[in-house]
Amino acid sequence: MAVITTQQLTKQFGGLVAIDKLDLDVKEQSIHSVIGPNGAGKTTVFNCITGFYRPEGGDILLDERSLVGLLPDQIVRRGIARTYQNIRLFQNLTALENILVGLHGHLKAGFFGIVLRSPATRREEKESAEEASRLLKFVNLGGKGDMIAKNLPYGDQRRLEIARALATRPKVLCLDEPAAGMNPKESQDLMDFIRHLRDALGITILLIEHQMRVVMGISEIVTVLDYGKKIAEGTPAEVQRNPQVIEAYLGRGSAAQQPHAA
Amino acid sequence: MNRFPGIKYGLIGGVCLVILSIIGMVEAFNQREIVSEVISMGQALLLTAAAFIAYLPAARAGGGTRGLAASVSSGLIMMAMLALLVLLSTVVNLRQVFINASPGLFQILKFQQEDLWVGIGLLLLAGGLTGLTAGLLVMTPDLLRRVVIAALTTVVMVGTLQDTISPIFAEWGPLADINDLLYEGNGLSIPGALGLFIAVAAAAAAWILKGQAIKGRVQSLPPVSRRRLNMALVLLGGFVLLVLPHILGLFLSEVLTIIGLYIMLGLGLNIIIGFSGMLDLGHVAYFAIGSYTIAILTSPELGFFNWNFWQALPVAIAAGAVTGVLICTPVLKMRGDYLAIATLGFGEIIRLFVLSDFLRPWLGGAQGIGKIPKVELFGFEFGTPQQVYYLILAGCLLIGFIAWRLRDSRLGRSWMAVREDEDVAQAMGINLVSTKLKAFAVGAGFSALSGAIFATKLGSVYPHSFNIMISINILCVIIVGGIGSIPGVVVGAAALVGLPELLREFAEYRLLVYGAVLVAMMLLKPEGLWPEVTHKRELHESENDSGETTAAEPARNKA
Repeated sequence: MAVITTQQLTKQFGGLVAIDKLDLDVKEQSIHSVIGPNGAGKTTVFNCITGFYRPEGGDILLDERSLVGLLPDQIVRRGIARTYQNIRLFQNLTALENILVGLHGHLKAGFFGIVLRSPATRREEKESAEEASRLLKFVNLGGKGDMIAKNLPYGDQRRLEIARALATRPKVLCLDEPAAGMNPKESQDLMDFIRHLRDALGITILLIEHQMRVVMGISEIVTVLDYGKKIAEGTPAEVQRNPQVIEAYLGRGSAAQQPHAA
Repeated sequence: MNRFPGIKYGLIGGVCLVILSIIGMVEAFNQREIVSEVISMGQALLLTAAAFIAYLPAARAGGGTRGLAASVSSGLIMMAMLALLVLLSTVVNLRQVFINASPGLFQILKFQQEDLWVGIGLLLLAGGLTGLTAGLLVMTPDLLRRVVIAALTTVVMVGTLQDTISPIFAEWGPLADINDLLYEGNGLSIPGALGLFIAVAAAAAAWILKGQAIKGRVQSLPPVSRRRLNMALVLLGGFVLLVLPHILGLFLSEVLTIIGLYIMLGLGLNIIIGFSGMLDLGHVAYFAIGSYTIAILTSPELGFFNWNFWQALPVAIAAGAVTGVLICTPVLKMRGDYLAIATLGFGEIIRLFVLSDFLRPWLGGAQGIGKIPKVELFGFEFGTPQQVYYLILAGCLLIGFIAWRLRDSRLGRSWMAVREDEDVAQAMGINLVSTKLKAFAVGAGFSALSGAIFATKLGSVYPHSFNIMISINILCVIIVGGIGSIPGVVVGAAALVGLPELLREFAEYRLLVYGAVLVAMMLLKPEGLWPEVTHKRELHESENDSGETTAAEPARNKA
């Protein structure tokens, strides 16, 4: 069953059509990758789904309810969380505080509850602190809660960003190039981690990735975009054989990525 | 010129000193003496500035003979430029252009010597000695330098604030003897100054040497006794705050009430700028709303409501909060500079609104509203500054407490997230509109409370009390104190509002000093006097807080 469906989704920037009538079906609890050459519109799809851009045409459905016109904070409360291509943590807050911000939507304390420190507020704060340290442990950052986000090593920052997204308790987690800048060993760990994430939490993973090794290694379904259009979709093996995909990559001289795909 | 840093710094410093002299600051400061008949504040101003500037090339050269040569030469050049000014004054009448270039000024520059050349000789000698001292200070060990600077600063402060300190000391039995010993005539006595210097130096040295050990011992105490110690300190602090106005007397209590009003305003603006990162330059608007609401509701001069203060107060705070929301709503989408300019405009609009003829029957126009009754509580009237002090103290404590609770809460975290990265905050489920509106409402409510107390303290309100300078002052208070820091607001208010009140005769130079202080702060200590921890992290890119040495290890692997 599809969690996220886009129907004829279209996004334009002035005269440029960034996404052109895209139909996408993301199955529940699947790991679904979106790939394509640079500028194919992958991140734009993410930005439309998470509400940062408002599409000019078409519809986006989450569990058959439309998301178009909702604000990012409303969409994240419906259950879609994301990470960013260039890590965007709250740099000067600690790892724990970053996650607590992610829990924001699930807390209820109001002004007077906070000022008077009502029993409900105290319980909520205690529970959220516990949940935050559980999440830190889940992403292997146990004991690093008091570190300033920007002082964490690169790989830890990536995982912290995922933990922060998980704190919003999403049904769908959108990962924007999580393996960027990682060496083969690190990307292998990441793949295992993403699989574990899906299996342990039963969530759906929507992935944008450039490293073909990662894409082919963990995806169940791959959608290939080129100039905002879907040119192919299927299992990794099917996509790799698709002549249009090979042309899209090779035709533009992006041959450098071909060895990975092999 | 880079090979001779002393010359560069000397020329820059010389220009500064000449400016300080011809704008009249030196002469104005000369009214106060630091050590009676030995050194006046004007001379101290020149010499401290010269020493500070001469210190820089020596520190850059890393001490040694080169550093010494640099500092002595820069000291000499600075004073030579002042000497040139003196010489020039004998040929040309500078007063036609610079109204403050009076004979009195040159008398000070000549160290009160009749003979021109003796005076200039003394001036150059002073420059050389100042440079030498600064140069030697670079080379002295860290401990000694900190001790000397602490002791000198205290002597200068105690000498300058004689008007303030002496009357207080004179009233308190044993302190009266100290007072007689310390002061003489118009400044410190020579033995008093020496004694004070030695005492402070000894205390500073003891603290530097033993302070860490004492802190460590307190840290290692069992939790129960540590809590008791904290309780005792809080009780002691509370007691001091309670008896303070009676120790300090009328004038200083008045100063304290002004500081207190600014603390409340600062804490309000701190929520908006410090916590949520929205640059609001129209903060005076909420202060005005608070004051005017109280005036309208309580003043019998208008006679609309004739409520008492306690009935009107909730309305005043609510009115402030609503104004905050109303001002914030149209500017929600603006960031940074644009928001600053828009709020600046709103701040002025409120004042012009009050001044308008159309609203005169209700708001009193330029004449303002008078006869605002004093606050009464269980038959106790808050009339004199000493009594109003308690009202303001209660307000400050209440607001400080609320701000502190909010900071470490869901709401405080959402403000911080918005400050750090608005888009990501929104993607974390934070509703930007309501979060920003709450920040404005709370900050404005705090300031309205300050305004409400201000109105009853003065007994009347006038539109001109609510000009843009108030907004700027509050902003300076939180910048100097440390943006986002709650204790920083208190320190900032004491330094920027309290000190100028004590040095009233220099009021003309207040803005000049403000500007200089802000520039110096931005260069030397941009995080403020009492920084808030996340802002400190922001300004010191890769450094770690000292408490996190273990955590810092993995950070070195950063890709």
